[in-house]
Amino acid sequence: MAANDPIHQFQIIDLFPVTKIGTSEIVFTNSAAFMFAAVIIITAFLVIGTAKRALVPSRLQSAAELSYEFVATTVRSTAGSEGMRFFPFVFTIFMFILTLNFIGLIPYTFTVTSHIIITAALAITVFLTVLFYGLYRHGLHFFNLFVPKGVPVLILPLIVFIEVLSFVSRPISHSVRLFANMLAGHITLKVFAGFIILMGSAMGTVGWLGGILPFSMIVILTALETLVAFLQAYVFAILTCIYLNDAIHPGH
Amino acid sequence: MSTELVAGVLVGAIIGWLLDRWLGISPWGLIVFLLLGFAAGVLNVMRAAGVVRDQSDRLEPK
Repeated sequence: MAANDPIHQFQIIDLFPVTKIGTSEIVFTNSAAFMFAAVIIITAFLVIGTAKRALVPSRLQSAAELSYEFVATTVRSTAGSEGMRFFPFVFTIFMFILTLNFIGLIPYTFTVTSHIIITAALAITVFLTVLFYGLYRHGLHFFNLFVPKGVPVLILPLIVFIEVLSFVSRPISHSVRLFANMLAGHITLKVFAGFIILMGSAMGTVGWLGGILPFSMIVILTALETLVAFLQAYVFAILTCIYLNDAIHPGH
Repeated sequence: MSTELVAGVLVGAIIGWLLDRWLGISPWGLIVFLLLGFAAGVLNVMRAAGVVRDQSDRLEPK
């Protein structure tokens, strides 16, 4: 049944225990292993890509430069040139998510970003960065964010409450978007793959021939998932920029 | 965009539920904050659609 279980792929497997904090054991899991792999891949990609610094770039160097240019343009266009001080932060988040998403597309791998704890941790990091940098930069003036102008004093407390809730809900929508897209896409792929086995084992040769239909669907969906993997990393990065913009720019 | 609405309602529900537990005012915290959260969710959606101005527009230059 395990082969036909679309949720099975998201299982966290303990690889070896690392240490113990209080009563909870800290274990090195497959999730951690894939995160390490992603970091190594990104580092190798950028270090090897930029090692030669040729005037006429090789393919790898061009790809490394392209990834820099791409994120830099995104940051500049959404958070302004002042937002470039957050470039390392945004670039790290973008490359990390992008690599994890693409690794997850390879069969038999584990998709780290399909666990909400990972995306939530990233989104909360962004949220806290915005909050603390905004407070550091604007002081208590930052809380003007929640106070609209020209609202009667009588209903102002209500409006402020709603605005605060709206602000607090941002990390949730930020993290759920990435997590839900990755989870749903991977489940869909596995469900369609399961159809082939089901049809083949139930109807013999006719079933295996009919299995071409779900198989072609998988091919199409894999292409779509490749797009989604890139797009969701980009959306996460651009939303990070938009939120950071709130902390950086006083008024427009 | 749908996640924006859900996020607002969810935050309202969580805060209301926690207030209920801490202050023992069940079910009023959940009722009030669920409604506030729904309003916040609608606000989120309208912001995402560009109908309402961003919060950051309220920060005037010093």
